[in-house]
Amino acid sequence: MAEMDPGTLITLVTIFIAGIGMVVGAITPAIVEGKAVEKALESIARQPDSAGDIRTTLLIAMALLESTAIYVLLVILILLFANPLLDRFF
Amino acid sequence: MDQVFPEVVFTILGIPVRDTVVSTWIMMAIIIALAVVIGRRRPMGLEMLVDFLDDLISGIMSRPADHFLPLLGSLAIFIGVANIIGLVPLLSSPTKDINTPIALSIVVFFSVHYFGVRLMGFWEYLRNLASPIFLLPLEIISQISRTISLSIRLFGNVLSAEIIVAIIFALAPLFVPLPLEGLSLFTGVLQAYIFTALAAVYISTGLNEPEEIVDNEGEEETYPPVNNQTETI
Repeated sequence: MAEMDPGTLITLVTIFIAGIGMVVGAITPAIVEGKAVEKALESIARQPDSAGDIRTTLLIAMALLESTAIYVLLVILILLFANPLLDRFF
Repeated sequence: MDQVFPEVVFTILGIPVRDTVVSTWIMMAIIIALAVVIGRRRPMGLEMLVDFLDDLISGIMSRPADHFLPLLGSLAIFIGVANIIGLVPLLSSPTKDINTPIALSIVVFFSVHYFGVRLMGFWEYLRNLASPIFLLPLEIISQISRTISLSIRLFGNVLSAEIIVAIIFALAPLFVPLPLEGLSLFTGVLQAYIFTALAAVYISTGLNEPEEIVDNEGEEETYPPVNNQTETI
């Protein structure tokens, strides 16, 4: 790799990592949430009386699972649009 | 005053004031005005709202929600209106600044201990907290990480929705960002519900089991009560 100016190197690595990180951070919570919904629907079909309880629990559980996806999105958006590391070299 | 990241608008006596703080003041005025006006004209509307929050909280905590309804209901209304008010043209959501969600989750953190001590007594609450003594470090770590994740969940949802709408608006203005703004309306209300529900869950894990309500015939009743007969109007 040629002798690059540090700002360019940081930008390049940031773009690369943002792409990979966002893909992994989007697939993983989606798969896991799908599994949670599958089990919840199965148990509603088995006992329709407890549908309200299961719905509340499912919603809270999905919010907790979704939050890790939001952490990844937040870090990548901050890296792309308000990168604090670029100011150290300029 | 409508930028994506918060900025300082003016200073009062040397203290900088951000645009999200000004939005919070405007939001407080709007909520108070709406509550007074709806309370005079159609008090049933306010009653429906309070009943909805009461059912929600007491369903999650499995106990009567009298002690907790002021705090958790206020959190729900504040966060709901705060997330939505960013869609109004000149105003910005208070929750897109990291300070507001951190303040709200610190309030929830202290309220867990406050309600535990108030409803169970100091030594009983401490014994409940440290029941297997080797789990005490794990309990402390989980309290801290729960508080942090509560604030970052709310902040991350609101800020990333704003950034995405701003990006799409820069690429293709006029009507294209509208579905995304509708999505941020939905996630705003959903995140208010999630914050309140999680705060209710955290408070209820700090308390003991609720006392069982014994029916007239000596059978145990569940809370909230399950009706087997239809209601007569």
